[in-house]
Amino acid sequence: MIEAMPKTLFLMGNEAIGYGAVRAGAGFACAYPGTPSTEILETAATLEGIHAEWCVNEKVALETAVGASRAGVRTIVTMKHVGLNVAADPLLTLTETGVNAGLVIVVADDPGMNSSQNEQDSRNYAKFAKIPMLEPSDSQECYDFMAEAFALSEEFDTPVLLRSSTKLSHGRGQVVLREPLAVTPPEYQKDLAKHMMVPQWASLRTQFLLHRLQRLRERAEETPLNVVEPGTRDVGIIASGVVYQYAREAFPDAWFLKLGLSHPLPYRKVAELYEHVSRVAVVEDLDPFIEEQVRMLGLPVIGKEAIPANGELDQDIVYRSLAPRLEESPAGGERPRPVFPPAPNIVDPPRPPGDLPVRPPVLCPGCRHRSVFTVLRRQKMAAMGDIGCYMLGADPPLNALDSSLCMGASIGMMAGFNKALGQKAAAAVIGDSTFFHSGITGLISASYNEADGLVLILDNRTTAMTGHQGHPGTGVRPDMTQGPSIDIQRLCDGIGVRCTTVDARDYPELAAAVKAEAKAPGLGVVVAQAPCALLVREKAGTVVVDEERCNLCGLCLDIGCPAIMPGDDAVSITEACTGCGLCVEVCKRGALTLAPKEVAP
Amino acid sequence: MNGVTTVSLIGVGGQGILLAEAVLAEAASAEGLHVKASEVHGMAQRGGSVVSTVRFGDHVWSPVSPNRADVVIATELLEGHRGLRLLEPGGALVCAATTKILPGSVLRREEEYPQGLEAAAVQRGVRLLAVDAEGLAREAGTVRAVNVVLLGAASTLLPFGESSWARALTAAVPEKIRAVNERAFALGREAAGRSG
Repeated sequence: MIEAMPKTLFLMGNEAIGYGAVRAGAGFACAYPGTPSTEILETAATLEGIHAEWCVNEKVALETAVGASRAGVRTIVTMKHVGLNVAADPLLTLTETGVNAGLVIVVADDPGMNSSQNEQDSRNYAKFAKIPMLEPSDSQECYDFMAEAFALSEEFDTPVLLRSSTKLSHGRGQVVLREPLAVTPPEYQKDLAKHMMVPQWASLRTQFLLHRLQRLRERAEETPLNVVEPGTRDVGIIASGVVYQYAREAFPDAWFLKLGLSHPLPYRKVAELYEHVSRVAVVEDLDPFIEEQVRMLGLPVIGKEAIPANGELDQDIVYRSLAPRLEESPAGGERPRPVFPPAPNIVDPPRPPGDLPVRPPVLCPGCRHRSVFTVLRRQKMAAMGDIGCYMLGADPPLNALDSSLCMGASIGMMAGFNKALGQKAAAAVIGDSTFFHSGITGLISASYNEADGLVLILDNRTTAMTGHQGHPGTGVRPDMTQGPSIDIQRLCDGIGVRCTTVDARDYPELAAAVKAEAKAPGLGVVVAQAPCALLVREKAGTVVVDEERCNLCGLCLDIGCPAIMPGDDAVSITEACTGCGLCVEVCKRGALTLAPKEVAP
Repeated sequence: MNGVTTVSLIGVGGQGILLAEAVLAEAASAEGLHVKASEVHGMAQRGGSVVSTVRFGDHVWSPVSPNRADVVIATELLEGHRGLRLLEPGGALVCAATTKILPGSVLRREEEYPQGLEAAAVQRGVRLLAVDAEGLAREAGTVRAVNVVLLGAASTLLPFGESSWARALTAAVPEKIRAVNERAFALGREAAGRSG
């Protein structure tokens, strides 16, 4: 196959990114189309060795990409600038979790709004998410930088942003193809501290990513992607992306700091440029992203007072706007000395004192949704969780979830994971309110792409974690009046997804449905219905222990109900018991029975 | 702290920490004091350790006061141990002496439930007011009123008049459960008066 490849191709930047991704060992690509980014995925779809799919939007695309990366496959996800707004929710937590196999997000900006509703500058997302940003400046770099991007992603355990812009994405140039890289896929490992972003672990990952940013800045100082190029004129220009090419053509004699890894900014490289010249300009499109950082170093610079702050640049605009400034005689006196910002104070999150038992939150007594976890954990599947009380299913003794990223992410992650592995290896666990928030789009995307998967919707008929608010599935409005409600079963029917609705209080029925769907080929949903235990005012009864029969085997303790306490000879049941009866169902010795009880006060 | 008093309430999610906080804040307001409070919502409430703080005085700037409380009200014994760490020396811990809710790690025998709250309080230089809040709450009519029993006990340490407490209970407690909580408050106040 290598022999059949022509050595040099004349490629659009977007095509070069697609080729470069495959050359770098990417096996999974997903996107929502958006000018000027669309041709990247279209190109990848024509190449061998990579699976390419359109997702329903950029958020689902990134979540699907996260699933594929977790599964151990290098993954590229592409979008236009405004698409990154849609994907911002997973991105801002993905920066905490990091990746498994490399994950590169390509974002194509559209200065001048050739085909867009705004001209936002995506570099701000690199700063916001504290992740590296690569900015190739021609088709060859689009191709070559993909290998750099994947290597950085894996070495630093970070998603990497690669920014293009209209004239780079849709411009063409020769690309010398290189030998494909041999990549060893890392295996998936369950790692709650890295993947389950509940506060106690997320706070540690926040420390990690702040330290990572410091290390990335050191890399930016050392990498050959950032280079001071000598000139013959007493002028220095800092530039990145295709704008570098404009500036280079406009001012061929100037010194240059060419930034290929533009975030985090290499402060010492900036200072190095100032050692050679007495006047420096930053030439960048849209925001004064680099300029502001140079000013922060206390260095005088020509920036947005000359270079247009809006619209698309070219070499003529760059020349016309900057040349008059450079005719002015430079300020005399000593060379400016940069003041480098000190490293930030990264503090340890508060830790509970070690001598007292911790008391993390737990699933409520009487919550029948815990039975979903007792069944799920026996299916030997990775379980992508979502945002809601059911995140507590990750904790011992349930130990039934692998991850939680952001609202609605579970289904996309499941789809990407299973697609990358080519088997039904992961399930998604999502609550009813979160499903309506943004799980539906993930499910539609998974259906469209014929992903395998088991989706468990824990339907407790409320938005429980925030205090029992209504949602489209209940129809309850803020003033507690009743509006129309949407039926999840019928919704699944409508989008062509197999769906089984069961009463979560019927343990055998629930277990049978989950087991059957775990084994069935393709994509299926099980809706487990049981009202939030906090909203059930009446006790169904109370559980009585036959101390003769109880042998403390621990099966009932494994459901993690706070109303069951182990004693010396037998378990005992506290007043917190609601009489839900799940422990009675899991006991194999008939030691627990449900005694009906009067209505609780 | 320039005339600002800090009361922290600590317990297990579901024990009514927020209600006790609301009553306390209303009582301080009824005294004409400036009040700020901070509370915990969301997932942490699900059976986890929960802390609320009420601060009152002529003027309160910050709503929080980590580990600098004058009085801590603890609705559970282990949380009482935790609450000791929130107190300034010379402060007072009002603790439910008979309420034990074992956390998962203790249920799984990975950690031990702490003993000797009295000795720990002495060591820290903190006055301990241990109340059989569960027994008194039952006497009042519901075991769920442990929070308000303890608030009644703590009321003997706080410079608020009886009418302020009465107004606060009316303002903060829903009518359906007000009578039982008024009884619980009175029983707690009486018990603290006896032991104090």
